[in-house]
Amino acid sequence: MNFVIKILKDFPAYLWSGWGSIASIFLFIALWDMGNQIYGDLVLPSPLETFQTLWLMLQDKEIIGEINTTLYRASVGFGVSLALGSILGLIAGFFVTASMMSRPIVTILVGMPPIAWIVLAMIWFGMGDETVIFTVIVASFPIIFVGALQGTRTLDGDLKEMAVSFKLPWHMKFLDVYFPHIFSYLFPACVSGLGMAWKIVVMAELLATSDGIGATLGVARSQLDTPTALALVVIMIGSLMFVEYIILEPIKREVELWRS
Amino acid sequence: MSEQNQEQKLHATNHYLYYPDEKDIPPYLAYGFRPIFLVLAPYMLISMILWGLVWSGFINLPFMDDVLTWHVYEMLYGLVTAGTLAFLATGLPELFPGIIPLVGKRLKYVVILWLAGRVSFWFIDITGVYLSAFLNLAMLGWIIWFAKDAVFDKLQRHASIGYTALVLFIIEVWFFAAQLGFATTPAIDILKVALGAIVVLVLLAMRRVNMEAINELMEDNEIDDVFISRPPKTNLAIFSVIVFTIVEFLYPGNSALGWLGFAAAAAILGITSEYILKDEFILNQAYVIYLACVYLLLSTGYALMAWDYLSADINGISHFRHFITSGGVGLSYLVVMLIISWVHTGRHLTSNIYTHVMVMLIILATCMRGLIPFFEEYSSELYIYSSIVWSIPFAIYIKLFFGFLIAPRADGIKG
Repeated sequence: MNFVIKILKDFPAYLWSGWGSIASIFLFIALWDMGNQIYGDLVLPSPLETFQTLWLMLQDKEIIGEINTTLYRASVGFGVSLALGSILGLIAGFFVTASMMSRPIVTILVGMPPIAWIVLAMIWFGMGDETVIFTVIVASFPIIFVGALQGTRTLDGDLKEMAVSFKLPWHMKFLDVYFPHIFSYLFPACVSGLGMAWKIVVMAELLATSDGIGATLGVARSQLDTPTALALVVIMIGSLMFVEYIILEPIKREVELWRS
Repeated sequence: MSEQNQEQKLHATNHYLYYPDEKDIPPYLAYGFRPIFLVLAPYMLISMILWGLVWSGFINLPFMDDVLTWHVYEMLYGLVTAGTLAFLATGLPELFPGIIPLVGKRLKYVVILWLAGRVSFWFIDITGVYLSAFLNLAMLGWIIWFAKDAVFDKLQRHASIGYTALVLFIIEVWFFAAQLGFATTPAIDILKVALGAIVVLVLLAMRRVNMEAINELMEDNEIDDVFISRPPKTNLAIFSVIVFTIVEFLYPGNSALGWLGFAAAAAILGITSEYILKDEFILNQAYVIYLACVYLLLSTGYALMAWDYLSADINGISHFRHFITSGGVGLSYLVVMLIISWVHTGRHLTSNIYTHVMVMLIILATCMRGLIPFFEEYSSELYIYSSIVWSIPFAIYIKLFFGFLIAPRADGIKG
């Protein structure tokens, strides 16, 4: 509970420290505006036009529906990866044999390009939710798995010994000794896993479905509607940045505080 | 003398290592800022009244038939030279303890040079541009000469201030060249560049003022923490301001200026996050709020200008620019005057109802002047009243601080 209160207490200061990042984003948008002036509206619409399109889109119920579809797919896919990845990663971390066995498999999973998975999934599941969710799982599972594995493998032996010699009850052993350490590895892995899920979901949708943000992006491409395409990109980046910097980063800071 | 007293005195004499052994220095010439503030505060007041009379047509000063340009010139360069001189004359011996403070006769002559520059400005229609150019350039040139130690410092700790002053000098030469027909650039555009350089100078100076004032304040109030203003945040703000200024000069009206303006606004606002310390809460300290307001006003100015560049519905860039000039830059002069006048006359940094009112009036005047586009129907009233409200703090300053400036330091130390 204290942990949550501390995060909430530090939140305004954390938020206020973000002005520098906002400044660099604006500098980047200025560069984009220059690009628009050089290459013209068709190639690169102006930021202003894009944001105006975005504003109109966000008032359109249909687009909100598409965003929800994508959100649903990404969250289901990411949720499954999170559950599977952390449980299997923990198990693999506690048993050296399991860890040895799983390493090459993870390498195969990570090494296989997501686009190949999409093709396979399209053959296996057809055009629909399952294909997208499957691709998301396959792409983000290994990242979380490796995070959990590393966290468990790097547990401090001395601390373990201490916990045993003090005869700590199992729940204290887990919550106070193992959990903070494992979580500090698992959490950053989850953040990158989430980023991966969000990117893959759009790609899979573009290729394998007729709804969701990805599919809308495909339609915009075929109609040469660059403002809409860019507005969709802004939605994707904006939502990812919101989740990462507003929700996850404050937690991450608190989690990693004990290390220093 | 008790041991504690001696210790306190030693701490205060850290402000400089050597004090010139010139005899019979009157208190008002005992340290750099004293005579400058003695003339600057009344000048702010008088010139505001004069401008009011000029704009309303009560007195006829044609200013080479270009009142606006010369008005902007004087509000930028006339004041910045005095501000910089006060800042450097007070700050340099402290930043570089080997530097001998500027006092006595030399100080008097420099202040007279500045005053001569002002007189030549107001009589420019009679005495001509050449004399004004010579006196004003000589003034800024002298300041740069005075700051040369900072520029040649091996560690380059404060060299940026010297370089910025040099850039301001070059821009001033360019301005006079344009006014005398040697350059074709519109003078008002050159002054916009000058404003960018002045904002940079203010940001650089404020970083140092912040560090000294806030740590002094925390020591006084026994707040156990250290305020450190590291360069990156200020540098990002400076970078954004420079890019905005250059693009505004080369591509006036370009839509990218909108985004660059927002970038500058956000970057300047970002500096205020330094006031959030790790352990202690200092945002309830009056001087921290005053200093933060400087950044808030500068930031508001850039944000409003940015909005104007992007929006077709509003047209008031020159009004919004007053958030930067009368607002941010103006308030920075006032707050620095307050801080120096307390601390360097041997007193504790004190806030009271008068200092609150002074800061609030500057902010109020800035809002009145800068928000004219939203209250067009009252514009003539707002023009006049905003300039009156803006000058009241300097009248209060005269009432409150002139006694300190013409008397020796309260703690008995020289300077």
